[in-house]
Amino acid sequence: MRDTLEHIETPALERIELDSQATVFRFRAMASPCEVCVEGLSSLAAEVAAQKAANEVARIEAKYSRYRSDSIVSRINAAAGGDWIAIDDETRSLLEFAQSLARESEGLFDITSGVLRRVWDFRAGKLPEESSLSETLALIGTERILLDGSNVRLADALMEIDLGGFGKEYAADRAAAVLAAEGVRHGFVNLGGDLRALGPKQSGEPWSIGIAHPREPENTIASISLRTGALATSGDYERFFEHDGQRYCHILNPKTGRPVTHWQSISVLAPVCAAAGALATIAMLREAHALEFLDAQGCGYLAIRFDGERFAR
Amino acid sequence: MSSKIDFAGSALARCAPSDATAVAGPTPSQTSARFGSITLAALALPGLVAPIGAQVAPLEEGVIAAKFGVYEDRQPGLTRVRAISPSLYIASPIASSWSFEGSLTHDNVSGASPRWHSSISSASRMADHRTAATAKLTKSFERVAVALGGAYSDEQDYRSRAGSLELRIASADNNRTWSIAFAHTDDNIFPTNRAARGATRRTNELGLSVTQNWTKHDVVQLAISRAEGRGYYNDPYKIVDIRPRERDQTTATLRWNHFIASSGDALRTSYRFYSDSFGIRAHTLDAAYAKALNDRWIVTPTLRYHTQSAANFYYDPVYDPVVGEPFPVVLGRFASPDHRLSAFGAVTVGVRADWKLDSRWTLDAKLERYEQRSSWRLGGGGSPGLAPLTALIAQIGFTRTF
Repeated sequence: MRDTLEHIETPALERIELDSQATVFRFRAMASPCEVCVEGLSSLAAEVAAQKAANEVARIEAKYSRYRSDSIVSRINAAAGGDWIAIDDETRSLLEFAQSLARESEGLFDITSGVLRRVWDFRAGKLPEESSLSETLALIGTERILLDGSNVRLADALMEIDLGGFGKEYAADRAAAVLAAEGVRHGFVNLGGDLRALGPKQSGEPWSIGIAHPREPENTIASISLRTGALATSGDYERFFEHDGQRYCHILNPKTGRPVTHWQSISVLAPVCAAAGALATIAMLREAHALEFLDAQGCGYLAIRFDGERFAR
Repeated sequence: MSSKIDFAGSALARCAPSDATAVAGPTPSQTSARFGSITLAALALPGLVAPIGAQVAPLEEGVIAAKFGVYEDRQPGLTRVRAISPSLYIASPIASSWSFEGSLTHDNVSGASPRWHSSISSASRMADHRTAATAKLTKSFERVAVALGGAYSDEQDYRSRAGSLELRIASADNNRTWSIAFAHTDDNIFPTNRAARGATRRTNELGLSVTQNWTKHDVVQLAISRAEGRGYYNDPYKIVDIRPRERDQTTATLRWNHFIASSGDALRTSYRFYSDSFGIRAHTLDAAYAKALNDRWIVTPTLRYHTQSAANFYYDPVYDPVVGEPFPVVLGRFASPDHRLSAFGAVTVGVRADWKLDSRWTLDAKLERYEQRSSWRLGGGGSPGLAPLTALIAQIGFTRTF
């Protein structure tokens, strides 16, 4: 499972002893603060496990980041409308997962919708022209990612894919698998708020995970007990701008091209983080119909509506 | 005595509450009910650790289920036995690494006294109540679980008490689970006709199983059990029914559950070989296809085929020319006319529907039809002179998680 990608930087770990049992290792990856928390291993074994987990996150970032020209995502995008690109099993599985998400969300979750960033300039904070918006919408559609065995091709030269919708969550799951293989039974991985727990604390107590307040970045709005499984949050506060008192966030509906407005944030509990993250994003995109979707998917959640009203299950 | 069709009933099986699924892992009634389609899609991603872990993991949520079952069997011209069984099942985590499972069943049995050669229709009427309870306490350690179980069953003329101890061990990668279990059963028989007073039977049973997550979508299990029973096996209500006082039973079961990720469906199959010292050899094939119609409905058609040879001392309904029925032509040391000990084949067809109301509530309904015929024995040679027996089994119930 070793990739041939060069210059994958090994993330530097910052070690913090939480108490006599737990050790937290902090590092930066995927443009986010990340941490690995481990209980029940010797100091050295914990560090080795955490470093391997961090390396796994770095491997996935290097392989799938659209900001790196040598990533497989960048190579697929560069060849859009042209040649077939050979991909490995892992990449094919991720693209198939993306296809499942598009199908299950009736087209709301679409890894080709990143082209909307061309017309939505979050730095400049201005609204796009209607004409350029409709032209861009025509480029979107997961069904236009052509998969043929171990080859992939984007149907249109202007199309692009972006695995950012579940890449960080997948990395959390893979990092957790690395920790499990290192013998970690009590601990969790947190990649910028996307969490995967391997098991409860050694005492059997669950981890208490704070949910960030969507309007007060320094505060938490709730805390969730997590023993195993995953927690991911999608919110309108990650990247946004305000225009005439209206908040425009980075979660864009691939059918209308417009940002979602119904929820400030949705946190979802699911067995694996890739599912939790996708469920949270799809729920944001389903706007007023989010909760019936999450109920049908059988997951726990905490959702905060535009008016601050909370809904939990 | 308990009169429902129950071939080679096992103390181990009885100590496990009835809703426990023999092979853990992806079965729609459990997995789909808990995981939505998106989680299932995510589980197909490469290199992820299994989220539920092995079977030794402690329960994380409680389950309460209530069922109401009706059983009725008949032979041509004779409705023989009707049983109505409400039952309750509960499983609950009680501390971080402890869990409890228990069940309570009450049967009301009425009808003609069963289990004669079907040619004899002078059946006396019978009515009986049976109350059965099981309890199991499990302590989970990191990769090991220990379960202590007990079972109690009481009816007018029969009392059964069983205890079991089970050890389950999961491999380091959580993909394999071994189980070793021991059970002891004490049965007491007090026939209302006083044919036997204070008769007892003791059975020791040892079970071994290994369950392997073969691929992401396949779980296989091999289970072997050996039971040795000593004591009273006769049917006290039959005039000529003398059976050996020991019965050793060996069972080997191979199960294969295949889960289809794209549709959420699951195929559950099993083959069971059974052999006992009465001389019965039986083969049972079982298949169920759980079809997930959508997020809320699962429909499961089931099919089972059973074939067995007769016990060495089973006698055909050919009676002594002088004395007449029920005395057989040649009375050996042992003899029984119990049709469950005859050579026959049997087919059970059924369908089960599970309707998930929301994340907590599930309603289920099951209808099964059992038919037993001598001529359906595999390879022929079924016991002659027996009328076919059919039975209908219907059950409705609900399950709630908490």
